[in-house]
Amino acid sequence: MTLQTIGNPPSVKGHYEYHSVIGALAGSGPGFSGPVSLDFGPDGNLYVASRGNPNQHEAVRVTRCTKDGEYLGQMPGWGEGEGEFIWITDIAFNAEGKLFATEEHTHRINVYDPTDFSFLYTFGEHGSGEGQLDRPSGIAFDSCNNVLVVDSLNNRVQQYSVDGKFLGQWGEFGDGEGQFNMPWDIFIDGDDNVFVTDWRNDRVQKLTRDGQVLMVFGGSGDGEGQFNRPTGIATDADGDIYVCDWMNDRVQVFDAQAKYKDTLIGHGGVSKWAQDYLDANPEIEHKLKLAEQNIEPKRRFYRPVSVKVDTDNKVYVADCYRHRVQIYQKV
Amino acid sequence: MTTIATDKALVAHLLRRAGFGATFQEIDKFAEMGYEETVDYLLHPERVPDIDEDLLERYYIDWKESRNIEGALVETVYRFNARAGVRPMQEKIALFWHHVFATGLAKVLHEKTLLNQIDMFRDYGLGSYRDLLVHLAKDPAMIFWLDNNVNHKGAINENWGRELLELFSMGIGMDGKDNYTENDVQEVARAFTGWTMDDDNTASIPFGKTPWLFKFDADDHDYGEKTVLGETGNFTGEDVIDIIAKQPSTARFICRHLYNFFVADEVQVPSWRDTAPLDPEAIRIMEDAYFESNYDIRSILKVVFNSEFFKNARFQKVKSPAEVVCGTMHIVGSYKFPDQRFFEEALECRYMNQDLLNPPSVEGWHTGKEWIDSGSLVERINYVADELSDTTKPGVRAMVDNLLSRQSEFTPEGLIEGCLELLGYFELKDKTRSDLIELVYRAGEIRTDNPEDRMFAEQLMLRTLKMIGATREYQFA
Repeated sequence: MTLQTIGNPPSVKGHYEYHSVIGALAGSGPGFSGPVSLDFGPDGNLYVASRGNPNQHEAVRVTRCTKDGEYLGQMPGWGEGEGEFIWITDIAFNAEGKLFATEEHTHRINVYDPTDFSFLYTFGEHGSGEGQLDRPSGIAFDSCNNVLVVDSLNNRVQQYSVDGKFLGQWGEFGDGEGQFNMPWDIFIDGDDNVFVTDWRNDRVQKLTRDGQVLMVFGGSGDGEGQFNRPTGIATDADGDIYVCDWMNDRVQVFDAQAKYKDTLIGHGGVSKWAQDYLDANPEIEHKLKLAEQNIEPKRRFYRPVSVKVDTDNKVYVADCYRHRVQIYQKV
Repeated sequence: MTTIATDKALVAHLLRRAGFGATFQEIDKFAEMGYEETVDYLLHPERVPDIDEDLLERYYIDWKESRNIEGALVETVYRFNARAGVRPMQEKIALFWHHVFATGLAKVLHEKTLLNQIDMFRDYGLGSYRDLLVHLAKDPAMIFWLDNNVNHKGAINENWGRELLELFSMGIGMDGKDNYTENDVQEVARAFTGWTMDDDNTASIPFGKTPWLFKFDADDHDYGEKTVLGETGNFTGEDVIDIIAKQPSTARFICRHLYNFFVADEVQVPSWRDTAPLDPEAIRIMEDAYFESNYDIRSILKVVFNSEFFKNARFQKVKSPAEVVCGTMHIVGSYKFPDQRFFEEALECRYMNQDLLNPPSVEGWHTGKEWIDSGSLVERINYVADELSDTTKPGVRAMVDNLLSRQSEFTPEGLIEGCLELLGYFELKDKTRSDLIELVYRAGEIRTDNPEDRMFAEQLMLRTLKMIGATREYQFA
């Protein structure tokens, strides 16, 4: 049946093939609820943060699964107390394998041991002074294991030691080089190049880890190389740059010199978790078969928000409004 | 009041009705612009830059997709509040049509589809009433709500046809007489056979919900001859709406709704067949505007807002819960930027007996004094009093700073007048005023010329704002 057997359709320029999909909407257990961030853990598994639903607190969580979609567990934690989160925004693992999560509601960073999801410590407080945060979003680590956090409403990036001691900051509001307008995500490659999605300036800035601008690319629009509110960003081993072009519902790929290379549009099929649901609800599957001509648009990305590339050159994209992770293979 | 104060009081009145109230800075700005110019400004929201949708999506990721009724309610209130300072009439007209064409999630159970209906009211609510009815007839939430998806050729379901006539256009009767017959209901239903919806994805799994869409099924449409309201022909649904829109009873019914919502509280809708309008001359003027403008809602409202009957109707309406919550939010300056705490506050409308997007029936909410019962009154008073006395709210801070910087000494009367003015030129009955003066008088001298006295004056002003928010008079718009 077409619903399941979609094959491996290529990306727009053919440098990638659709591989598979993980996920389905679920407020708890196997599934996601508005996935906003993903990362690979030290155990080789995939971790996905769900922003959830304010009326369904347990849906706000971090889910752990294998990279081929075997559900392994979850870390719930809705609340304002220590180690809890309400508006979880980004997750990342540092070199020691600790799980860091940014929390926009309480303006702080929570740190966990991913083996049992136990809470370790937290840092950050609301404000605009040194070390204070106003809606922290993206988080990443440099080669010295220092933490770089996108302090989105303060339009800057702040650096901390791994235990949360303030080390420095760079950036300010504006649209010039080194300035930001509500930046979203941050990614640091193996050479300590820092990539920041400058959300409301519709561009990406590549900087040194102390904030010197190396390259700026993008611009507002929906053409090749243009963005409508870029969110997640990552690079791969070849230096190719992946940008979630959020409101254009696509992921754009650039080479290391920021030359446009390809576009992923989403080809989501039915995941294992979704198939389990359909097997238990055959009337839904029957309706989907009847409406097969309308399914194609629903395979597409709907607000892709986070991207990472693993060592096998598989590209994982958190497809937020469709509650799934779509996976492409670089060819 | 002086002429200037009168002008500002009128502008404040206009902004309460054509929006969700106004801050004192907005009242000053629009008073300077001029009353009639403000009417034009409000009636053309499309000329004003809109709010930033990207912010809504960035922070309210889950609500944007609206997978449950609370999420949908919150998104609706967010837009009411966010546009209150830029495009208030766009939101107010959406709220108005949601009252008239009440559609509820209790049955529809598809939040995004119903939110699309509210957006349709925003887009077309100030235009041609005839065109709006066509959009409504094609609205998938309405189609499902009133069963037109099971209204088939040869096997009609008359639910939509009946409510189109009874609640959405003509009303059951006028001047003591019926407006239509049972046969009209059935013939109207025939004209809308085949007007159905594409609901291919009601389930959230595997692809997430997607909004329903209108679909015309030609094979299921009854193309036969019909007789509707005395006219005979092979009418389609749009033909029937053309016939309905030109009926005097439709003009009366829609104008009474507009009067009840924007001017003064009327008796409840079921009484309109046998109860004359509160102000028959005002309704006659509005009916004339209805026909002269070819059913244009914006033109009717322009006549209304510039009329003496409107200007003389200050505080003749009990605020709806949406007006209480959004109006207070706007004055105190809350949530102009997305915040998680907004979720709980948006639900205040529900606690005050107006569960937006989930009306009690297709008849919508009963208005006027029926908004008030002991439970909802306590909710109203507590909510407003808390908000108006919270100096962490930028609007409250601005009111305090504005008034207390005017002079170094206040009489109790002066402090109370200043508060009433800043809240939108509210008026108190003599007894309420004298009670308030007595309470403020007991507090002692009110001075602002040293920090300690100013702090005392600020606390007293906050108590005064709180007490005004708890008055009976504050429940009226």
